[in-house]
Amino acid sequence: MNETATDVLVIGAGPAGLAVGGCLKPAGVAFELLERASKVAPRWRDHYERLHLHTFRDLSRLPDHPWPLGVAAYPSRDQVVAYFEEHARQNGLRPRFEREVTSLRREGTRWVARTRGPHGDERWSAPRAVVATGYNRVPNRPRWPGEETFSGRVMHAAEYRNGREWLGKRALVVGSGNSGAEIVLDLFEHGASTSMCVRHPTHVSPRDLFGVIPTQVLGLGLGWLPPKLFDRLALPMTKRLVGDLSAYGISRPERGPMELLQATGRVPLLDIGTVELIRQGRVTVYPGIERFDGSDVVFVDGRRAAFDVVVLATGYHAALEGFLDGAERLVDGKGHPTAFGEEHPDAPGLYFVGYRNPPTGAIHDIAKEAVRVAKAIAHAATTATTTTATATSTAKSSTTSSGTTSGATRSAADPADSGEKKGART
Amino acid sequence: MSLPPELDFWHPVLTSEELDDAPKKVRLMGTDVAVFRLRGGGSVGAVLDRCPHRGASLSNGTVRDRCVVCPYHGWKWATDGTGQSPGNPEGSFRTQAFDALESDGAIWIKRAGTAVPFPRFDVAGFLEISRMRRRVNAPLEVVLDNFIEVEHTGNVHYVLGYDTQRLGEVICRVETTPESVRVYNQGAQKPMPWVLRKLFRYPPNAHFVDDWVTHFSPVRSVYDQYWIDRLTGERGGDFLRNTVFFVPVDAQTTELFVFVYAEATAWGRFGLNLALLKPLTAWLGRLEIEADVKMIEGLADKSPEIRGNLLGRFDRGPLAARNRIRRIYRRGVEGLESVRNEGGED
Ligand SMILES: Cc1cc2nc3c(=O)[nH]c(=O)nc-3n(C[C@H](O)[C@H](O)[C@H](O)COP(=O)(O)OP(=O)(O)OC[C@H]3O[C@@H](n4cnc5c(N)ncnc54)[C@H](O)[C@@H]3O)c2cc1C
Ligand code: FES
Ligand SMILES: [Fe+2]
Repeated sequence: MNETATDVLVIGAGPAGLAVGGCLKPAGVAFELLERASKVAPRWRDHYERLHLHTFRDLSRLPDHPWPLGVAAYPSRDQVVAYFEEHARQNGLRPRFEREVTSLRREGTRWVARTRGPHGDERWSAPRAVVATGYNRVPNRPRWPGEETFSGRVMHAAEYRNGREWLGKRALVVGSGNSGAEIVLDLFEHGASTSMCVRHPTHVSPRDLFGVIPTQVLGLGLGWLPPKLFDRLALPMTKRLVGDLSAYGISRPERGPMELLQATGRVPLLDIGTVELIRQGRVTVYPGIERFDGSDVVFVDGRRAAFDVVVLATGYHAALEGFLDGAERLVDGKGHPTAFGEEHPDAPGLYFVGYRNPPTGAIHDIAKEAVRVAKAIAHAATTATTTTATATSTAKSSTTSSGTTSGATRSAADPADSGEKKGART
Repeated sequence: MSLPPELDFWHPVLTSEELDDAPKKVRLMGTDVAVFRLRGGGSVGAVLDRCPHRGASLSNGTVRDRCVVCPYHGWKWATDGTGQSPGNPEGSFRTQAFDALESDGAIWIKRAGTAVPFPRFDVAGFLEISRMRRRVNAPLEVVLDNFIEVEHTGNVHYVLGYDTQRLGEVICRVETTPESVRVYNQGAQKPMPWVLRKLFRYPPNAHFVDDWVTHFSPVRSVYDQYWIDRLTGERGGDFLRNTVFFVPVDAQTTELFVFVYAEATAWGRFGLNLALLKPLTAWLGRLEIEADVKMIEGLADKSPEIRGNLLGRFDRGPLAARNRIRRIYRRGVEGLESVRNEGGED
């Protein structure tokens, strides 16, 4: 089997992998970017058509890569894809496409990735590896009794493209996260008679406060506060703006939005119109599903109704154990790696980018982490004469500034330091 | 009672601000409808504006308990069309109800229960500039004609149009699908005052682009208007996205329902966007529409028929649109289904 040796393996050419590549390149670090699909940012290409970034454009950008003119505050899916393509092009990134990493393991002092695909089975090795396969690699697919008797279709949100074929049909969306809520809107707009399952109490905020300021800005501005204090400040405001929805089947959790996020990883719903449809009686809210029965879905409160399609917006998981050797030692209970933006203390030379989803947005976080990781790697690569960088030396280097490497110091996507960049807009 | 097929589709009939606690009368294809806002917030309702009892106008009534109450004998009509008569407690009554919805700052209605798409326009992250209704004394087709060709913009418009001297060079591309007509125009812009050039971030070597897509269930066009550098193809700064619904009041009257948005943020340019861009663009939009309306209302021939007229290259859009108005819009749900199932000729 042919083996390619390099300095760094970056796995995944989504936003996170691209961000890392874009930072390593100017630092002069050699790397290979391995991607399962045949294009960059494939996940964004496959999202449903109606999707827009629900985080603000200028707070969702990769390092040193401003959004082009002619893109609104919440770019559409196609604009997001074009943005990532342009990033790859401008940074001269050439991912090795159609290489699915089937295993990544430490062999001696090197990380070895095995890939498969139309190019056959290949081996890639490097002293360092960055895992950027996304926290939404594999859909969560709950099962219910009686599903095999169901006469309608059940699909995961990952398969959903648009509501066109459901005109005049009865649709149920399970899950009240941001994609669930948007798919509800999409189905309604396509003329489906639409219902929604809200299984847990959920925090709802308008996407824009007072119609103009992205709620994400609030998260950024106050995100440093202790969760409880943040909640004390933010909750009364969103309560006033959204009102009490318990009469419609959506109750507020006992814990505040930030506390809940940190405990369960559930982000608040940034509403873009779904709640109004519920208020106006155009969308019916049900509690969780108990079972399926022929053409019907039976809910935990005993109600039942017939549906032609059930869309599961039930989230995803990182599924690192699918390819990463010894993953169980490196992840927490939710399957997310326990180290961010720096070398994993239990895996020398291994880095993870893109496994947190803070209220300030995944892409915003990725941009910051990618800069830190690239800096640490560049530093380690130039200081270590052999390829054995120890955990302690690299961990330290991520906090000291790396004067030795030319372009490794790149700015994160923070609004504060992007203000004067070319094309950066206000 | 049979309603015209056009009413199968969602139409905007009032701006949100226009609908207060009292019911309002609106007219669609010659049919009067009473639209009302339910007490205690939540939703809006709409029923035929003719009480089935003895013909009173329900828009003169009041709203109580999620019903509109007839001013004549006090029969109450709920949003689903069921009625109650205080004097005939045993009786069960029905009237023609409409689905009603408040969205995007407008009140929308359609025939109750039809399965049709909601005519969404994508303005995620855009700044709302203005929203208005304007009645035009002309049939829908004739009004739409004006809004999907740019040949008139040099003569009729003040700012948002092409240089009359260079009309011959304007690119006009028409792309059609069975359900839509897109007209892409690009060319030299009419001379524009310096202030506006600055405000819209007019690029060097600017070409004005009018990129219009019209759909027919109901009839509406989305207009993207922006400037590009004709040499590099790069976009200039802010652009406008205007959505215009063509709402047939009756055979001779059409209401323009206009939503104007700009690709700009409210807080941008240190408040300049809100303080200047918004009022100025709103004013400009109104000015241009008034100019169109004046021209349309003064036409010597307002017949919707244009076969037999002498037509030029800019009239391909209007021709393709008429065909779809006939095949889709004028046939309601049935038209929509047939074009979805079979596609259709051009
Ligand atoms: C519906 C939806 C809406 C979202 N909206 C927003 C938003 O508005 N703002 C925001 O900031 N975030 C949003 N996110 C979060 C999203 O996760 C990020 O935007 C971003 O896509 C994360 O980038 P990533 O590179 O970490 O992961 P991904 O985009 O998932 O990319 C991972 C890449 O790794 C590749 N890969 C996976 N496994 C392998 C393997 N074994 N071998 C090789 N390659 C592999 C995949 O093909 C993919 O290209 C949204 C997510 C979803 C699902
Ligand atoms: S006419 Fe309306 S109640 Fe008699
Ligand atoms: Fe005009």
